[in-house]
Amino acid sequence: MRGTAIRAVAIAGAVALVVVLGFTMTDYHQYQFGIVAYYAVAILGLNILTGYTGQISLGNGAFMAIGGYTTAILCGHHHIGALWTIPVAGLVAGFFGLLFGIPALRLTGPYLALATFAIAVAVPSLAKRFDHFTGGSSGIILPIKTGHYLYWVSWICVAIGYVVAWLVLRGRTGRAFRAVRDSEVAAVSSGVNLASYKTIAFGISAAYAGVAGALLAIGAGYTNPDTFPVTLSLYLLIGAVVAGLGSLWGVIFGALFIEYLPIYAQKTYFGFAFSKQAPSVVYGVVLILIMLLIPSGVAGLARRLYLKS
Amino acid sequence: MRKRVYALAAALIAALAVLVGMSAGAGGTPGVTSNLISIGGTFPLSGPASSYGTIPQAEAAYFSWFNAQRVGGKRGAFGRQIAFQYLDDGYNPAQTVQLTRQLVESAHVFAIFNSLGTEPNQAVRAYLNQAKVPQALVATGASEWGVLAKQYPWTIGYQPTYVSEANAYGQFIAKKVPQAKIGVLYQNDSYGKDYIAGLKLGLGAKQSQIVDMEGYEVTAADVGSQIAKLKASGANTLCIFATPKFSIQSFAIAAKLGWNPIIFNNSVSATTTLMTIATKSSSAQTTNGTITATYLKDPTDPKWDNDPGMKLYKKIMAAYYPKGNPNDQFNVYGMSAAWTMIKALQGAGPNPTRASLMKALRSLNYRDNPFLLPGIKVQTGARDAFPVQQQQLTRWTDGKFVNFGPLITG
Amino acid sequence: MQQFLQQVVSGLASGGIYASLALALVLIYRSTEVINFAQGEMATFTTYVAWQIIHWGVPYWAAFFLTLGVAFVFGVAIERVVIRPFEHGPVLTVVIVTIGLLVILNGLNGWIWTAEIKAFPSAFPTRPINVAGVAFSLQDIGIILVSLLAVLCLWAFFRFTKVGLAMRAAAVNPDSARLTGVRVGWMLALGWGLASMLGALSGLMVAPIVFLDPNMMQVVLIYAFAAAVLGGLQSPVGAVVGGLILGVMLNLLGTYVHAITPELRLPVALAVLLGVLLVKPSGLFGRAVVRKV
Repeated sequence: MRGTAIRAVAIAGAVALVVVLGFTMTDYHQYQFGIVAYYAVAILGLNILTGYTGQISLGNGAFMAIGGYTTAILCGHHHIGALWTIPVAGLVAGFFGLLFGIPALRLTGPYLALATFAIAVAVPSLAKRFDHFTGGSSGIILPIKTGHYLYWVSWICVAIGYVVAWLVLRGRTGRAFRAVRDSEVAAVSSGVNLASYKTIAFGISAAYAGVAGALLAIGAGYTNPDTFPVTLSLYLLIGAVVAGLGSLWGVIFGALFIEYLPIYAQKTYFGFAFSKQAPSVVYGVVLILIMLLIPSGVAGLARRLYLKS
Repeated sequence: MRKRVYALAAALIAALAVLVGMSAGAGGTPGVTSNLISIGGTFPLSGPASSYGTIPQAEAAYFSWFNAQRVGGKRGAFGRQIAFQYLDDGYNPAQTVQLTRQLVESAHVFAIFNSLGTEPNQAVRAYLNQAKVPQALVATGASEWGVLAKQYPWTIGYQPTYVSEANAYGQFIAKKVPQAKIGVLYQNDSYGKDYIAGLKLGLGAKQSQIVDMEGYEVTAADVGSQIAKLKASGANTLCIFATPKFSIQSFAIAAKLGWNPIIFNNSVSATTTLMTIATKSSSAQTTNGTITATYLKDPTDPKWDNDPGMKLYKKIMAAYYPKGNPNDQFNVYGMSAAWTMIKALQGAGPNPTRASLMKALRSLNYRDNPFLLPGIKVQTGARDAFPVQQQQLTRWTDGKFVNFGPLITG
Repeated sequence: MQQFLQQVVSGLASGGIYASLALALVLIYRSTEVINFAQGEMATFTTYVAWQIIHWGVPYWAAFFLTLGVAFVFGVAIERVVIRPFEHGPVLTVVIVTIGLLVILNGLNGWIWTAEIKAFPSAFPTRPINVAGVAFSLQDIGIILVSLLAVLCLWAFFRFTKVGLAMRAAAVNPDSARLTGVRVGWMLALGWGLASMLGALSGLMVAPIVFLDPNMMQVVLIYAFAAAVLGGLQSPVGAVVGGLILGVMLNLLGTYVHAITPELRLPVALAVLLGVLLVKPSGLFGRAVVRKV
């Protein structure tokens, strides 16, 4: 009983914080927090796939690209209102996720990682090839003012994302996902239709990534193949690991991490500046240290401290 | 139980404190104080385009030198020193947007200076123009920066455009290489396509002499099959509109295939350093005679050893950017842009505003940029939004470039 | 016809480069079921080390073998220091660690040596030789020979030496191997060392062609993955054959099929990768793995 009460207070507190900051933060910090929000959406989706269903994906950046380009094409080429394109982007990306999920059934572990990595690498090339749709290397400019509303729209998407995730994961689907993660063989023998649940997980994860990609396109006001590089997919996975796979609320920390690390790593501290190449090195080192020391990420760490007291 | 509540509360309060700290408002003139002007730019310091990463470092070196000079007892422009910061966007336009906003809204720079890349600059153009922040001396050869000057009054380019450069090649081929059968290797983006447009413009009626055009993707591992196809097309003149890596490869592969066309190499990929690498990777026979266009003084050309501009360049490199390679022409480029920026800042008057800076940038008229070839003007006006438009053709001969012919306006 | 032969030979040469890196991937996968995403960056790092040694005045061939030695030590060190703590955990963890390594090494290479493109001397002269009117590059032929030689040496090592036998035992059945006195941990480290050497070889051969910069091996890595999967992730022979086939196929497709424009080369390779994974995941030479419940 008390646990639920605390959780309710925590959620209310978080919502209040987001609202208050929305009115008090400077434009620039709001913009940054808007970015944190859409990273959180993407990581949430990835967590459902990797943390709960146990399938590695190194390619969610590709689904972000699909969502981002959907928004860019609809908004830039067809002048549809940017906000309306967000759910469309999610659906389109989700559709491709389902499509990919079908053949992906046959792959496990490292093979799946390879296949998804392949997608992440291929998508920028494909975007350049089909330049009739995508504007090729020159990309698409979105005719919107990249302004305040990124913050609000993104955090609303985060809230919706959490609610959907919570609903999906507590029901039968969620149990099926966890069964798939823990033991595929056992899951099958207890009647779980492996194929459909794995595919569904991919679809959901891709839909989240699509929404995040749409928000990225809106936030930047521009898309081109370079806005969705392979490193995006890698950093999303890093963010998910930092957050703690299999946990929902740690996701915010994962998003904060991948957004702020490059910024802080480029600064000068007491006259000592990392080289501008340093952010990658720091990312990698932090990642490995986290895997070593707190493999269950921020969420796991908090859980341990929480349980100790 | 109580401990958990306290822990949660403490965490929330800490978070709030940090985040509220970010809410502190900012006031005052953006980027200008009584003794400082801040400017900033975004550059690809990591990732595939990172060989340009030396440019902002050379610019920083120039500004540091400038800040140390005393003119009439004062340092800087009207007593204000230049604070230049540069950030890494990895050539990712989404990053460029974020970092440019950071420069404008958090670091409160006076102007954005020499940000690099066509697409990165396109991504922030609307924002900077809406915010009325000068997007000054954009580092890209795309021609649209000058063409769209009326639509985007706060944006101005700097170097000769790709179109004007290839125009010069086209003019030369039409006049001096009548039997040319032209093959073109181009990067499949606006950079490559701009070059093609310029070539066709310069060739005029002789456009039909282009026998084959092969494109490649930035993600390509190599351009071997493209060069092979160009050779097979019967071309005797090759135009390389490719970035450094692929340009050097083209020479290597042409040598492997035993092909010796007349080669025009685009200026981006034809610095002395790069041509030296190309020669080592192919053969002197292949690279000798390669023609490119240039507007900068070549730091490796002994002709400029006693030139005051080059002496200054080498002095600044040694004193303020010792890690840099003084033979890398990108550094000369950087300093030439920085020189122009300072002239513009000075032209903005003793009480500079962003508007007065733009006015100065649109009425440049200098012939004495120490880093540009003698005679090249840095000039803009009401109907001319292209600061540097002249180039000279130069031929790679036995390990160095030898300029020839008149200054060509593209 | 001329063009066909030229494309085949240059395809075999590129294939040789992919094959070396693919072989490195297979080596590690066979012994640990880990796909080392950092293999390409490790190769780039060792190639930079070679460049540095040559820059300090060491003659090419001395630097070549010195680099192979450094690469070996580097590979062993990485396995013992970075990978070992995660050996007993889930595969996902190790995959993530190799990604971390990828990111670290990529940044490190740019940090230490800057992103400026560097020329790299070739082991073989680049002049063409004429065979029956077709111009082949000596460099291409040299690369093909070196790749084959490396494979041969590796095969001999595994087949005829005690250490090779111990490594094979450790890969196939670590527990039994341990019982016979094989120090499984060190066998794994040895595998990483050899893989690192192969990666270095790949880098040393590709650098003169595509020039040395921090992202040099990224695309090669993708092609190597495709080659390894095509040949069968468990099969060294497959890696080599897969690499050669892939190299030739990409060249020929690019030349003769007009729909396959240059920017599609990479996606085509990836389509091969995906296709094989879906149709016959064990590749051309692998055997299907039956999982015991």
